[in-house]
Amino acid sequence: MAAVVFSNVRKEFGSFTAVHGLDLNIEEGEFVSLLGPSGCGKTTTLRMLAGLEFPNSGEIRIGDRIVNDLAPGQRDIAMVFQSYALYPHMSVAQNIAYPLKKRGVPAAEREKSVAATASLLQLTELLDRKPRQLSGGQQQRVALGRALVRDPKVFLLDEPLSNLDAKLRGYMRVELVELHRRLGRTMVYVTHDQLEAMTMSDRIAVMDGGKLQQFAPPTDVYAEPANRFVASFIGTPAMTMIDGELTEDAGAWTFNAEGLSMTVGPLSGQAKSGPACLGVRPENVSVGEGPIGAVVQVVEKTGHENIVFMQLPGGHRLTARAPAMQSWQPGEQVKVVLDASHVHIFGSGPRGDRWNRPAQSAAPSSAKATPQIIASKNTKADPKAEKAAS
Amino acid sequence: MTASRNAQEAVSHRRHLMARNTGTLLERRYAMLGVMLIAPTVVVFCAVIVYPLLSAIYLSFFSIFTPTLQGDFVGLNNYAELLSTGTFWSSLGTTLIWTVGTLSLQILFGVGMALVLHQNMWFRSLARSLILFPYFISTVVAVLVWKWLFNDLYGIMNHFLISLGIISFPMDYLGTMPNAMISVILVGAWKYFPFVVIAVLARLQTIPDQLYEAAKIDGAGPIARFFDVTLPQLRDVLVVIILLRAIWDFKEFDLIFLLTGGGPLNDTQTLPLLVYQEAFALNDMGNASAYAVMMMLIMLVFMLVYIRRTRSEEET
Repeated sequence: MAAVVFSNVRKEFGSFTAVHGLDLNIEEGEFVSLLGPSGCGKTTTLRMLAGLEFPNSGEIRIGDRIVNDLAPGQRDIAMVFQSYALYPHMSVAQNIAYPLKKRGVPAAEREKSVAATASLLQLTELLDRKPRQLSGGQQQRVALGRALVRDPKVFLLDEPLSNLDAKLRGYMRVELVELHRRLGRTMVYVTHDQLEAMTMSDRIAVMDGGKLQQFAPPTDVYAEPANRFVASFIGTPAMTMIDGELTEDAGAWTFNAEGLSMTVGPLSGQAKSGPACLGVRPENVSVGEGPIGAVVQVVEKTGHENIVFMQLPGGHRLTARAPAMQSWQPGEQVKVVLDASHVHIFGSGPRGDRWNRPAQSAAPSSAKATPQIIASKNTKADPKAEKAAS
Repeated sequence: MTASRNAQEAVSHRRHLMARNTGTLLERRYAMLGVMLIAPTVVVFCAVIVYPLLSAIYLSFFSIFTPTLQGDFVGLNNYAELLSTGTFWSSLGTTLIWTVGTLSLQILFGVGMALVLHQNMWFRSLARSLILFPYFISTVVAVLVWKWLFNDLYGIMNHFLISLGIISFPMDYLGTMPNAMISVILVGAWKYFPFVVIAVLARLQTIPDQLYEAAKIDGAGPIARFFDVTLPQLRDVLVVIILLRAIWDFKEFDLIFLLTGGGPLNDTQTLPLLVYQEAFALNDMGNASAYAVMMMLIMLVFMLVYIRRTRSEEET
């Protein structure tokens, strides 16, 4: 068991910089997910930790050792690959035993460890089979077994569930969390699936464009996204983003966009008047009563709830969650209210910082400036939309 | 009501029958088309493979003078004779030495070169095309060049070896034993190893990188990775290459005939050369056919192994 520390790690492939000066401090026994879209540098980061890529600069530590110049086999890590990478000509037992064999563990001891690992992962029946005779889920468990058998300091998992079907993926998520709890080992998990990251991790490192965007527990990443990228990447359906103008009047902030105007805050010292972006999650938008007029475009029925996609008079789109029994027809004119205490304000640009004051410091001041929603003049009359609705 | 229902049933039954009839008719027409399409191939195959094969077997029961193709039926005498005299057995021995020798070198060079060409080198594409050169060059041209290199009076091989101080006087590469056999084996290996390179390289490129990465993480060094990842992955393709090349090397004629003509004495006279000698030098077509049939039976064993091998591969 060991902590993992990245200090100012940079990786370039020719003229392309895959990871820009990454600083990441993973604690001992922690389950950390590296989350981000394709090409964000998460896999490169994991591969540098594994020793399959070498950083151009910076320092990587596992425990108290700097591992920059150590070969993968010397780092005391184990990795589960997306494609499982099982040795096709070896049986399940030989696959699991291989890392022990390469480390000179005597045959009798190897057999014992393989048997123990196999029973932990319910592979005992399959030990004599070849990988091609196994289902995807079974191959996945063998790959896990090969990683577990050696009891390494750190487990690296590179999208290990992405080749499984949805049902098995859900099952394996629970299995992995249970395994982590039982073993208490440091695990670094790469995924582009936010659901996996949210449900399994102690902390999530959200990456984009080779840079760390936020490193925080799942609930914080969801409730207090560091910037606009994190906010829009996390959450399904995605957070609604409305570009507009932020103005300050004696410490009170107002956000204005076409079809929408509302008092927001409290904001941090970073906030400044000018272009900004308002973000609101679908569960913080109520359809029915409210000051904002909108036109329903599509209603997605998921069974337990309805997702309502609407358009504001200014052309901005807005998404809301509604109970399953409430439904609207496309084209219908509705009234909407945003939950002001859960509205996020971001600086302009695709990675604009979040300007809301952090929850702890915001709590006392929020009593003073109660946010209120003012219906913009534009929303009152939109004859075109009304006609279309009827 | 009942009458109309019966009528309906009768109609549907008739339709059903008609559908079945047209189905079989269609199937029959497809089958006919299939026969017509393969007919030209079958005819050509019979003319150039089946007829010569059967006539060789037929001729092997006669004692025939090649120029006139006249002779008497001698039954299995030709076979009895070839099995009892030493010529066949010594020639078979020579053929096996040549086949095993040249094939081993082809595999060794071929796999080695494929591994080198699989690495990331800046001149990789150029090297990959250059390596095919010996395989594509005509055997006659290749042999002429090698004979020139091997020449004991003005050949560059002797010049090199003498100037390097390895030998003190010129060597006879093709006129003495075992030099002649070694030379033939080396030229054969040079000529045919590119085939092994192409086949092995193609397979190497399909081995997933993640297998090597997993092995690295599992603590395997470069040598262990070769034996635990590369070689097992190459096994199937190597079996096929070895079988195919064994068949081709076993029946190799032009390279040996042009290089040594079977000499010195008969020391590099492989079975194909012996068949040629019997048929056209000694003018005994019957005996030559008997040798050829024996050769075919030996190669049949390789063929059966190859067919079984490829069939079992298709099944897995």
